[in-house]
Amino acid sequence: MNRLKPIAVAAEALRAVTDPQHRWIAVCMGTGCSSAASAELRQALAAELAQHQQGVEVRRTGCFGFCAQGPIVVVYPDETFYTRVRPEDAAAIVVQHIVHGRPVEALLFREGPDKHPAPKWHDISFYRKQQRILLSNCGIIDPENIQHYLAREGYQALVKALDTMTPEQVIEEVTRSGLRGRGGGGFPAGVKWGLARQTPRWPKYVICNADEGDPGAFMDRSVLEGDPHSVIEGMIIAGYAIGAEQGFIYCRAEYPLAIKRLRTAIAQARELGLLGENILGSGFRFDITINEGAGAFVCGEETALMASIQGERGQPWPRPPYPVVAGLWGQPSNVNNVKTYAYVPRILRFGADWFRSLGTEGSAGTAVFALTGQVERTGLIEVPMGITLREIIFDIGGGIPGGKRFKAVQTGGPLGGCLPEAYLDTPVDFDSLRAAGAVMGSGGMIVADETTCMVEFARYFMRFVCDESCGKCPPCRIGSRRLLEILDRIAAGQGEPADIEAIHHLADGMQKGSLCALGQLAPAPVLSALRHFEEEFWAHIREQRCPTASCQKLVRAPCVSACPAGVDVPAYLALVAQGRYAEALAVHREANPFAAICGRVCPAFCEDVCKRGGVDDPIAIRHVKRFMADHEYTVPWTPPRLAPKKDIKVAIVGAGPCGLTAALRLAQLGYQVTVFERMPQPGGMMTYGIPAYRLPREVLFAEIEHIRRAGVEIRCNTELGRDITIKSLQADGYAAIVLALGAHRSRRLGVPGEDLPGVYHGVALLRDIALGKLPDLRGQVVVVVGGGDTAMDAARSAWRLGAQAVHVVYRRTRDEMPAIPEEVRGAEDEGVQFHFLVTPVAVLGQDRVTGVLLQRQRLGDFDKSGRRSPVPIPGSEFVMPCDLLVPAIGQVTWVDDEAVALSRQASFRVGKAFELGIPGVFAAGDAVTGPATVVQAVAHGNQVALVVDHWLKTGELGGVYYRPKRHDIPQLFNLDDYAEARRPAPRVLSPEERRHLPGFVEIELGYDERTIQEECKRCLRCDLEWLQRIGEPLP
Amino acid sequence: MAGLTIGFLRRACETERTEHEVSPMPTLTINGQRVVAPEGATILEAARAAGIAIPTLCHHPDLSNVGACRMCVVTVEKARGLQTACTTPVAEGMVVHTHSADAVATRRFVLEMLLSDHPNACMTCEVNGACELQDLVYEYGVAWPQHKGSRHTYPVDPDPNPFIVIDRNKCILCGRCVRACAEIQNRDIWSFAFRGFETKLVAGADQPLLEAGCESCGQCVAYCPTGALFDRMSVGKGRIGQVTRVRTVCSYCGVGCQIDLHVRRDGGRGRIVRVTGAADAPVNGLALCVKGRYGYDYVHSPERLTRPLVRAKWLDPDELAQRVGDNRWSVIGDADKRRSPVTGHDSPISPDTFIAVDWDTALDVVARKLAAEKAAHGGDSFAMLASAKCTNEENFLFAKFARQLMTTNNIDHCARL
Repeated sequence: MNRLKPIAVAAEALRAVTDPQHRWIAVCMGTGCSSAASAELRQALAAELAQHQQGVEVRRTGCFGFCAQGPIVVVYPDETFYTRVRPEDAAAIVVQHIVHGRPVEALLFREGPDKHPAPKWHDISFYRKQQRILLSNCGIIDPENIQHYLAREGYQALVKALDTMTPEQVIEEVTRSGLRGRGGGGFPAGVKWGLARQTPRWPKYVICNADEGDPGAFMDRSVLEGDPHSVIEGMIIAGYAIGAEQGFIYCRAEYPLAIKRLRTAIAQARELGLLGENILGSGFRFDITINEGAGAFVCGEETALMASIQGERGQPWPRPPYPVVAGLWGQPSNVNNVKTYAYVPRILRFGADWFRSLGTEGSAGTAVFALTGQVERTGLIEVPMGITLREIIFDIGGGIPGGKRFKAVQTGGPLGGCLPEAYLDTPVDFDSLRAAGAVMGSGGMIVADETTCMVEFARYFMRFVCDESCGKCPPCRIGSRRLLEILDRIAAGQGEPADIEAIHHLADGMQKGSLCALGQLAPAPVLSALRHFEEEFWAHIREQRCPTASCQKLVRAPCVSACPAGVDVPAYLALVAQGRYAEALAVHREANPFAAICGRVCPAFCEDVCKRGGVDDPIAIRHVKRFMADHEYTVPWTPPRLAPKKDIKVAIVGAGPCGLTAALRLAQLGYQVTVFERMPQPGGMMTYGIPAYRLPREVLFAEIEHIRRAGVEIRCNTELGRDITIKSLQADGYAAIVLALGAHRSRRLGVPGEDLPGVYHGVALLRDIALGKLPDLRGQVVVVVGGGDTAMDAARSAWRLGAQAVHVVYRRTRDEMPAIPEEVRGAEDEGVQFHFLVTPVAVLGQDRVTGVLLQRQRLGDFDKSGRRSPVPIPGSEFVMPCDLLVPAIGQVTWVDDEAVALSRQASFRVGKAFELGIPGVFAAGDAVTGPATVVQAVAHGNQVALVVDHWLKTGELGGVYYRPKRHDIPQLFNLDDYAEARRPAPRVLSPEERRHLPGFVEIELGYDERTIQEECKRCLRCDLEWLQRIGEPLP
Repeated sequence: MAGLTIGFLRRACETERTEHEVSPMPTLTINGQRVVAPEGATILEAARAAGIAIPTLCHHPDLSNVGACRMCVVTVEKARGLQTACTTPVAEGMVVHTHSADAVATRRFVLEMLLSDHPNACMTCEVNGACELQDLVYEYGVAWPQHKGSRHTYPVDPDPNPFIVIDRNKCILCGRCVRACAEIQNRDIWSFAFRGFETKLVAGADQPLLEAGCESCGQCVAYCPTGALFDRMSVGKGRIGQVTRVRTVCSYCGVGCQIDLHVRRDGGRGRIVRVTGAADAPVNGLALCVKGRYGYDYVHSPERLTRPLVRAKWLDPDELAQRVGDNRWSVIGDADKRRSPVTGHDSPISPDTFIAVDWDTALDVVARKLAAEKAAHGGDSFAMLASAKCTNEENFLFAKFARQLMTTNNIDHCARL
């Protein structure tokens, strides 16, 4: 029997909020959508409705969380979800949807590869894995109308508490629910309340911490703006439980809308007797005051917050005594976060067991996150505790935009930690995150993709801490400054090896010595970045290189940074522009001896990042390279000797791009170098993997000849493990041995029947073609399995060998194919047919292949590589008849030598100095990295040569870094004249021409001298801008 | 609320709590030693009472505790992280280690940090040898930090205050000046402005001290652990090893503040170069007012009166001639007149010339004239103004003198005005 005065709920509100048939339009009026003109939109909708005499309510609601897609409009009861709605769209919504009942397709949210529109709110994958408990009223009720809150059973928990529960029972219920503080600390709320109740001094205070200061986080704001009464109700219940009569909401002044809605809500609650004297006739008295904070992040720390309420400088004071004993004005005070209070009414209404049933053992309930950074769908989300980071980032957030890879996620805001890919399956709850080295924090979640420099990432957060440190205690005040200074220097390329130790020392001192959580946790982002990405810090310090090319002072030009070999691209472009081709080529060869080869087959990482690409098209860098190499074709190059001749013998095993480059560099340094090659010709995969239509043989062998001219001896037909062994080489007096064996063994499909005749691995096919053993494929149907470059080369070669039809089957979609896009396009032009989302499950045939059994796939969750993994669709199998099945799904290294067998899995595991654990034996290239590109192998060759040289001289492993020389070439013309110039159109033979030419003729054509010179002049000369940035004179 | 800081309030509250809860004196263990401390005492108080040293910088027994400097951190078993001994209340069964590895490392770190933003100027610093920071750096063996980061370069002596010199570069932001000003002098002139590394000690709204309402009592200087605040009159006059402290009582008023005169003797002649309050004095401790602390320059003034002076016309002419003649009295005034031989005839002494006489003569003159005035015009022709510089006993005698001898109620006291 309810002894209290019941609260009247207006019938109209009841219908508006609870009637499932009620037709109304929700317009988000959170801060995000408001700043995108949702107020005007609301007016426009109301005007249109009036004009069409539609008695449909347009309601202001709280935040839907999908702010990047705002303003958001939802039409009920069908829950049609409109995004990016502008005031002009009001007419369409009213006329089409309200009057004629047809949703406005153009305004629906679209997602997925086919951009399929999602008609309803809960169809959108952003919402599918969410569980909106705390935000359940956001998007439904009008936050400025207390009747709406009442109609959603608002204040029923208060009635229940006052009427049927003692304060102790309330505390018991909250404790039993397992509710932990949502401000980040995770302290059990019920336990805190109990302590506050126990302190025998009055008055006591209930304080709501709404000083949400994390950059990019707006969880508390959304709750305050969308459902202010839930916070007020939670505070009143807390007041009843601990015996307080006064509440304070400390809200930052930067949240004017939240403050306005809170004031409205408090006034409405007072009017209904829910605040003030004798609440609902219970005799209990409670009221709430709002304090506006001035925007200091540290005031989110409870003691600093209370100091601020007292009118003092917002600085924390030490605990104990804890606020529950001596807080505001020295009185017992209970401080909780906005969300913690907002959960309380729901817990009392539905029971502690219900709340416990959500989330995990140690972390009950849901968590609200602000998902930001480099993720496809950003916004505010509420998820059950225990969901994995992967689910949040990839399923809800939609993964990383622009096809980039995931790198790290920072949880817990600027005081949290970052977690790399390996931690993506960590459950999101207080204890799991802490165990992983990050924290729950108040709920910021910032995603970084592969282009993010972790030094810069850490520096960003440290700069924030420096700005926000209150200055009270020396560890934080000075320590954070010293940490930032070190990070600044590292980012500017002025770091020193001792800096890493200094960071640890400062971090340790700050963690142990700082007064409050701000200083104690401030080093966490730096430490976690160091823990997971230490190599990146070392690259900045030792090599003055920013691996992601984002540290301004270290990036001379994006193209140079992007090139694995660090070729000085702007220098040779500038030289070619002036017609100084020989000098340009010399610059190139300093870092990469294979200009003509790379001019044809390089994937040109440089062009992907070219600044001019942001203006119109990137410079055709690869073509410039090809032109200058071809122009000097007739001039044989004798690589310069850089050090006197030495009487030391070095063996290189494998004459691929890595081995040859290493041999060249060591020969230039004066060593006696012999290269051992098992095949009849040198070149490795350049010879036996890349078909001649992409790389003509005379170009290839001419450049290999240059290596010989440096004094390198190349012994072909000599195989490791058969003709020579590590031991025999050592016995022959080779002081150092570099294994550059490549990755030549094709991966097996792992399905029945793959040993039948007619299964012809892509690597073997390409090798046989290079050896002149051309199979006759006329009239045959060829099925190639795989989506990489080898698959493309195999398919296009098969087509050239006269195959009747060539099919490529790939288990993912086109977007996930690792092959160079031009190659895919080339294959398509030649009539190769692609079949996506299929994978072979059996090779069919009795004595030889007659077909392949394929199974359809669908894309499931994201896997470790950040791509969606294919999931088989049972029962979708079908047969594709074929005469030849060409698996090309990757290669591994293989060697049969007793000395190295143990240190090898699919590829060699080497140390930082390429060492294998056997003194004097090193490994590099594809044998270490797995199948990669020519330029990556060249880069490895340069590096391993340097390491071997250093080891031979000093006996030390590592500590030397390959740093290409820089050439400052003057700018001799006015760049403005080339503002309108465009990249020349590609010149390739048409498929018809290709069909009619015999054999494997090169299909890509170069450009003439004039075109190339003009093209070079389009270069924006980032290198000169960099000179100005670091304060050096222009050439 | 002026002057009532949160620290004060919280201490007050804790006292209140002691009244509520009747609990026995908690027993705790510090460094293996059993220590009994009163309820509400801090670990620091308990340790120091037991003779166990814990270093501090921002703590001062006269001031509230803020736990800012982190020097007093100690390990308390079962507590998370280090605790500041100056703020953590003792509890029954608490086990404290004042010199755990973490605590010592943290103190060293704090000192390293402070030094990393401190001028390397001990050679020229006024408080060299009397600097708490210097002592701790020495004790903990912290090396001068080599780093490429920034140090503050505030202007030295930017404030025109005639008594206080500021060098913010030496400031460690311990806040003792802030609390001394607020809690002892109740002025609230000092506070901190800006945040983080840019945090700066400011007067008022970053104004000159006097504009901010400073009354130049110098309490802030007295509590400064480094050379950031110093007495302007003492700059360059002598450092701690060059002076002798002489304990005396301030002569300015009857409160009876004890002061230490810092006396520097060079070749026998002593000079007062600085005055400080006496920490162990029951009346004032370190506190003094502007006069007591800075009003000592009269001591060495050539114009200072050291003997009673009487105008020639009030003295007996014969006695005057005789005493001046045998140099027992001397003529104060124009140098030319003093150079002339005093013969009795053609005297250079005018009736108004001051003559330095002995005390008996002077008092005789006063007594004679007061008696004459009273006889001629009655007691109410006389009024007396007593001085705050005198003791209560002296003032009592004044009152008695006026009322009983002079038979008048015309007596007042300067402190009443």
